[in-house]
Amino acid sequence: MAIVIDAVYFPSDDIVAREIEGELIIIPLVAGIGDLEDELFTLNDTGKAIWKLLDGARTLGEIIQVLEQEFDAPAGEIQRDVLGLVQELARRRMLVEVDAV
Amino acid sequence: MQFDEPQLSVVYAAELPLSGFALLELMRAVLARGVPFRFKARGWSMAPFIRDGDVILVNPLQRDLPGIGAVVAFIRPEDGKLVVHRIVGRQGAAVLIQGDNVTSLPDGIVPQENLLGRVMRIDREGRSVWMGLGPERFLIAWLSRFRFLIPMRLRLALVRKRYS
Repeated sequence: MAIVIDAVYFPSDDIVAREIEGELIIIPLVAGIGDLEDELFTLNDTGKAIWKLLDGARTLGEIIQVLEQEFDAPAGEIQRDVLGLVQELARRRMLVEVDAV
Repeated sequence: MQFDEPQLSVVYAAELPLSGFALLELMRAVLARGVPFRFKARGWSMAPFIRDGDVILVNPLQRDLPGIGAVVAFIRPEDGKLVVHRIVGRQGAAVLIQGDNVTSLPDGIVPQENLLGRVMRIDREGRSVWMGLGPERFLIAWLSRFRFLIPMRLRLALVRKRYS
C-alpha cells in the first residue's frame, strides 16, 4: 500500500491495541482469535507517540507537524521515520487508510 | 525531547512481565471485539481438568448466561482478580462459582456483569483436551459444589496407586 502524506490512517479491525502499565501491546487477530501465545507487538516510546496520533482525524502531514514541535530532530528525519513506521504498520495490516474503509 | 527512531518489535507473552491486571485488560479488550481470547493458564485450582501451563481458549459470552458446569473467566468480586473456575450453581442472574481443586470456600455469588467469557478449549502439550468441558461437566459441578470432588479424586488416586 502506498503511503500518502495527505491521507488519514487509523488502527485496523485486525488488531487489538492497548497501553497497559506503560507498554503499548498490539495483538493481531489471526484467524479471528486474539492469541496471547502467538506473536505480539510493542512500540518504543517514539512509536507510541506516533501511534497515539493515528486517530483517524489527522493526516500524516499534520502528525508530522505535531511531532516536529514536540521533538528535536534534524529536518526531514521525523517525516522519514513517520512514513517508515506507517508503511510497516500498514504492511502488517495494523493500519488502514480512513478514506479506503 | 530526543526523537529516537520508532520501532515496532515482535514479542512473546513469556517475555512480557504481564501482571494479572494486564492480562485482564487484554482479555476484556479482545472479548469486547467479539472474538475469542487464548492464553496460558496459571495455577492448579482447576486441576486436573485445567493444569498450570495449559493454554485455554475463552469465547465471548453469548446472550444467555452460561449454565451449570461451564468453566468461565470472571472477575472475582472480593479482590477484582481474573479467575477461571467452574459454575456450580445459579441464583437468579448471578452464579455460584468454585474451583475444581479448591478446598476452601467457593468464589461465591458472582454477578453476571463480572463474567467475561467461557472456556471452550484446553490445549496441553500441543493437543486439545476436552475432559471437564463435555457432558461430564454437570457431574463435576455437582460433586464440586457438595465437596465430593476432591475426596473422590483422592480415593481414585489411592486405588490407582494400589493397583499400578
